[in-house]
Amino acid sequence: MSDQPVPGPGTDHLSRRTFLRAAGVTGAAALSPAVLRRRAEAQETPSPIRPDPAAKRGGTLRYGILSAAAHFDVHQSGTVANIGPQSPMYDLLIRRDPRNGQTIIPDLAWKWDISPDGKKYTFYLRKGVKFHDGADFTAEDVKATYERIVRPPKGVVIPRSSLFTTVGDIVVLDPYRIEFRLTEARPKAFMLGSFASGWNIIVRKKSLDDNQGNLRQVMNYPGTGPFKHVSRQDKEVWVMERNTNYWNKGLPYVDKLEIYNLPPFSPELGSSFLAGKIDYGRLLDPVSWRKAKQMPNVTAAAFNQSVIQAFWMNMKRKPLADPRVRRAIHLAMDRPTLVEVVKDTAPMQIGGFVYPFHEMSTPKEELVKRLGYQTDIKPAVQEARRLMQEAGYGQGIKGLDFVVRDIQTFKLWAVAIQAMLKEGINIECNLRTVQTSVWFDEAAAGNFDLAISAIVSSLMDPSDYFSAWYGANGPQNYSGWNNEQFQALAKQIERELDDTKRKAMVRKAEDILEQDPPLIPISYEQIYDAYYNKVKGQNPSTFFGIYDVCRWDNVWLAQS
Amino acid sequence: MRKYLARRALFALGTLVGVSLIIFVVLRVLPGDPLVAILGVEGHARMTPADRVRIMHDLGLSDPLPVQYVHWLRDIATGKLGKSFFRGDTVADLILHRGPISAEIGFLALVVSWLVGLPVGIVSAIKPNSWADNLARSAAILFIAIPGFWLGMLIVLGLLFWFGYKSPIIIVHFWQSPWENLQIVIGPAIVLGLAQGAYIARMSRSCLLEVIREDYVRTARAKGAQERHVVLGHALPNALLPVITISGVLLGFVLGGSVAVEQAFGVPGLGRSLVTALIERDIIVVQNLVLLYAAIFVVVNFAVDLSYAWLDPRIRYA
Repeated sequence: MSDQPVPGPGTDHLSRRTFLRAAGVTGAAALSPAVLRRRAEAQETPSPIRPDPAAKRGGTLRYGILSAAAHFDVHQSGTVANIGPQSPMYDLLIRRDPRNGQTIIPDLAWKWDISPDGKKYTFYLRKGVKFHDGADFTAEDVKATYERIVRPPKGVVIPRSSLFTTVGDIVVLDPYRIEFRLTEARPKAFMLGSFASGWNIIVRKKSLDDNQGNLRQVMNYPGTGPFKHVSRQDKEVWVMERNTNYWNKGLPYVDKLEIYNLPPFSPELGSSFLAGKIDYGRLLDPVSWRKAKQMPNVTAAAFNQSVIQAFWMNMKRKPLADPRVRRAIHLAMDRPTLVEVVKDTAPMQIGGFVYPFHEMSTPKEELVKRLGYQTDIKPAVQEARRLMQEAGYGQGIKGLDFVVRDIQTFKLWAVAIQAMLKEGINIECNLRTVQTSVWFDEAAAGNFDLAISAIVSSLMDPSDYFSAWYGANGPQNYSGWNNEQFQALAKQIERELDDTKRKAMVRKAEDILEQDPPLIPISYEQIYDAYYNKVKGQNPSTFFGIYDVCRWDNVWLAQS
Repeated sequence: MRKYLARRALFALGTLVGVSLIIFVVLRVLPGDPLVAILGVEGHARMTPADRVRIMHDLGLSDPLPVQYVHWLRDIATGKLGKSFFRGDTVADLILHRGPISAEIGFLALVVSWLVGLPVGIVSAIKPNSWADNLARSAAILFIAIPGFWLGMLIVLGLLFWFGYKSPIIIVHFWQSPWENLQIVIGPAIVLGLAQGAYIARMSRSCLLEVIREDYVRTARAKGAQERHVVLGHALPNALLPVITISGVLLGFVLGGSVAVEQAFGVPGLGRSLVTALIERDIIVVQNLVLLYAAIFVVVNFAVDLSYAWLDPRIRYA
């Protein structure tokens, strides 16, 4: 018989070993969240944009860009006149790397997780970040910002809302973690690109609450960005100073930003840059840019812009409702000549219905072999004539009303297009030039047969602009176009998470658009930047668009 | 004289009311949606009808037209002049900030026009059909014919490409830096002044030619007065009245011309603000600036009329 007590059922005897084991397990259970949290805190990684030890500090960067905004609410804007001057004062959740304009990197969120089903995006926010007014940045500010973007209050119109249509709940998990719960999964690249869009600046919840969710008349709502507002003179200059409490220690380098209001492609911008009144000019006209390129101490860069130049055909008018007529018009365009026509006014490149420089679209080498994009237009015009004949318009069409937006490029193109239509397929149209605001009135009211303008998208991803430009009720589908096969495909493209399958679908969508054009693409805009070589840290050649990379936090001046 | 002043003041007021009605109606009748500029292209495309109604109401554009007109007159009477649709900037601040630059340009243009036009006209008149007269007349016609904005752009381009020079790109007032201020205003002033000076040269030449043949001028010469005294002391004062009249009228050309010339030189004056406001359909700014220009024109021409009595003692107003 043993003299050690043996625990059995119903006994309440607790051995030392059992006690110690239980205490150990309980202690571990109590400590592990704290341990994990400490581990998480310890792992908060700094921004990949680190200060360069070789960079010089100080000085004033003088930047020329359109900065005469109609209001101050960046979320409600779609123009560089807002994002250009205001971007330096704000940060994003995640951002495009300013060193290449492409890679998405951490910003106010140092890390993010995406659930395997693609329906939850969890962002881990940096601690210790302050707004310019000294308030702490927390997940509540992100929630307030994105609630407003996703579901704008009455009277507030936010163009980027359409990027977040599948965002259901936005949940604050703790002050530094926030979760976006999607009702349907979307491709990762699309969602991350949407969060990283330069338009989606993070603003303070209090700023929104104090102004009933409308910041149009609020010039200086606090941000967390590298620069703070100092002064602004309307349509002249906006002065900002370095944020000494910026969370990304060591940045920015320059002490002051002076952002001068100089309209795109204007003589004022070109002459101000060439005369050395500004250090950096964006959206230069080609003549000034070419001149700048010849200067020994200047870098002249070109990159792609997120704008398509096109003209629309009113499908409520009988001949234009026929896809054969529209394809004939599409084929009658001599695109290389159209790009040449405006070469001294604005830089352009040939493209089709999707951004020609996007990985999902038909590569340029293939595109220029296609009918409608070739240098020799004879085969395309022949095919166009055949289509017109087949559609019953072999003798041509007379008296089309061609509404032209009163901007130099459109006026030049309109004359060329008028000639191409007449010579190629005997379509006669009368040009009617109108002010920009009138153009949009006429387009919305359907008071046109043909109408020429330009439209922009936030992302290069087709799911952004397929709905806006080509969607059945898309806000920029001025033609009133609808193709059910395309709409069904577009919905699939939105939901397809496999990139290879998605790419094949986009190519298929391109083919549909080629045969049944919703608009006639003329070209895609390029941006010409020029800067004196004393400006370091900027490499715009790989940027897409002018809206995502304009914070100036990693730029420095080799001499003050 | 008091009756004359009262009558003229009444006519001036009537003129301004007429201008205000015309500009008010025209701006509201013209096609074009100010919300395109306010919301931007994308924002405008995504605007719902309910949004539109709300925004138009906030801007005061959904009130009945007579109500809008009365509100505007009230704003003028209280000196507020209303607010721009954009950014909430007040029109009064706009005028106070940019007005001095445009006023300087106008004043300097007037000085240039008289400094250039009058001597050229005098020389032409006292030496008719000489090489100097022919040269002066050709130059006058040239400067009348050349569009001011084109000449302005040539000057800007010439200075840029030959000397690498451009004037300051933001407003610097005279009291902040006289030298920088002069650099901003001198270009537009010269262009506008030369155009005005051409008219003054031609007018002063023809008036002086007529006066120089008068008996009293011949008498002055016969009495042995120096030619300089005959021309400047006897002939010129009598030839000046039409020249002063035309200067008042030419002010209209300066005001209108300044819009294009400021654009050519990139000067951020009132003229440029007017162009921008027109493009943006910023109705409040346009109507206030047009009324301001009309008021200046009316006041200056009133002053010109009054100056006749001072210049010519024979003229008295009842």
